[in-house]
Amino acid sequence: MAGLTELQDEQLLRMMQVGDEDAFTTLYRRRQGGIYRFVLEMSGSPALAEDVTQEVFMALIRDSRGYDPARGSLAAYLLGMARHHALRFLKRDQTYVSITQTEEGPRNWGKAASASREDPHSVMSRRETVQSVRQAILSLPEHYREAVVLCDLNEMSYEDTASVLGCSVGTVRSRLHRGRAMLIQKLTGGVKVAAGHEAIDPNRCLA
Amino acid sequence: MNCKDFESTIHELVSRRDADKTKQLEALEHAGQCLRCALRLDEESKLTERLQAFASTLQGQRAPVRVEEDLLRAFRERAVRSSAPLLGVSGKRLWRGLRWGLAFAATLATAWIVVFLWPHLHRGSRNLTPRLNNSQPAAVSKTSEAKQVPQARWAEQAAPAETANEVTTDFISLGTCDDSQCMEEATLVRVALPAEALLAFGLEAGNDYSPEGSVQADVALGNNGVPFAIRFVNYSGGNNEN
Repeated sequence: MAGLTELQDEQLLRMMQVGDEDAFTTLYRRRQGGIYRFVLEMSGSPALAEDVTQEVFMALIRDSRGYDPARGSLAAYLLGMARHHALRFLKRDQTYVSITQTEEGPRNWGKAASASREDPHSVMSRRETVQSVRQAILSLPEHYREAVVLCDLNEMSYEDTASVLGCSVGTVRSRLHRGRAMLIQKLTGGVKVAAGHEAIDPNRCLA
Repeated sequence: MNCKDFESTIHELVSRRDADKTKQLEALEHAGQCLRCALRLDEESKLTERLQAFASTLQGQRAPVRVEEDLLRAFRERAVRSSAPLLGVSGKRLWRGLRWGLAFAATLATAWIVVFLWPHLHRGSRNLTPRLNNSQPAAVSKTSEAKQVPQARWAEQAAPAETANEVTTDFISLGTCDDSQCMEEATLVRVALPAEALLAFGLEAGNDYSPEGSVQADVALGNNGVPFAIRFVNYSGGNNEN
């Protein structure tokens, strides 16, 4: 198994296709976190993230020949499948995404901050920040939300994001710009500039 | 750089993505001169910090272990199933090939039986049936023992045209060949002759044979086409109904 961790995704996939269980396990452990987090960030639902992660890898087990290396990386392919499943679930059950999400949220969100030895004020402040950002992201339209989630939260390149979303890099940049502008508005209500200046319209310069 | 250019590069600037360093420096320089763009840079930076803080809380999030267990179980079942169908498919293919092969072999066997074995079987059954050669004393007196041997061969050659209840005379030599060798190589041809031909061979025509009537006969032809023996078919000693 140790040697397998150094192999590329595509190599693991080929080994998996001929029944190598260790290769599948290695590939799963390498990629499941990103898929799980992507769906969690998109939906706010750990249950959905779990279901979609399982569904994506089940689909890979059933038929992995749908992957075309010429069209992008395997990671992007898996995320694309996850996006497809997540959007299907979200359309079917709109209750997954709601601005009025319970304040408690997913059970582990903010756990990292709580576990640290910061002073309670900082912890509370950070938790509030996390909750507000989470709600702001979940309130974004899906097109903008997935661009923000992939580019900003998962730090994917524009090219990989375009591969996942099945659109051009220009479209990704445009959606990301618009999504971030909407997040700023939701989180700050628009920034008031110094006296004598009007509120900034994020789209002003591009208009 | 103007405000529009600044806006198009601001995301790369705050996310520290690989971008044109010259452009980034120009953007920073522009922000130092333009208050609005400086504020935009500030709010974008704050948003990035918030997003990163949010992302860090999710960093350790992974699917539960049970998902991996379920998937591994499915992977193993799939591996078993994919090997089983492989055997099944090969078995089916094998049977399909065998089926056609067997059908072909059965057709060949049937054809072989019809072409080669059937005449032998038919001959065997005919040998079991009593031969109805109704030898006429007058005719027999004219055939030698040597000429009786080829008769069986001729009977075989004429078998398709001969019916089970056919009555024939013995072969009557025409005097063109007394060699038994030429008789073995003879070809038997059935012909219709005028009834008065019976008289030419010393046989009674009887009242049943009108002068205009005909009588069937088998003529033995040599390789040169010369007839050297003849026998009459369904001759009943003058009571032949033809």
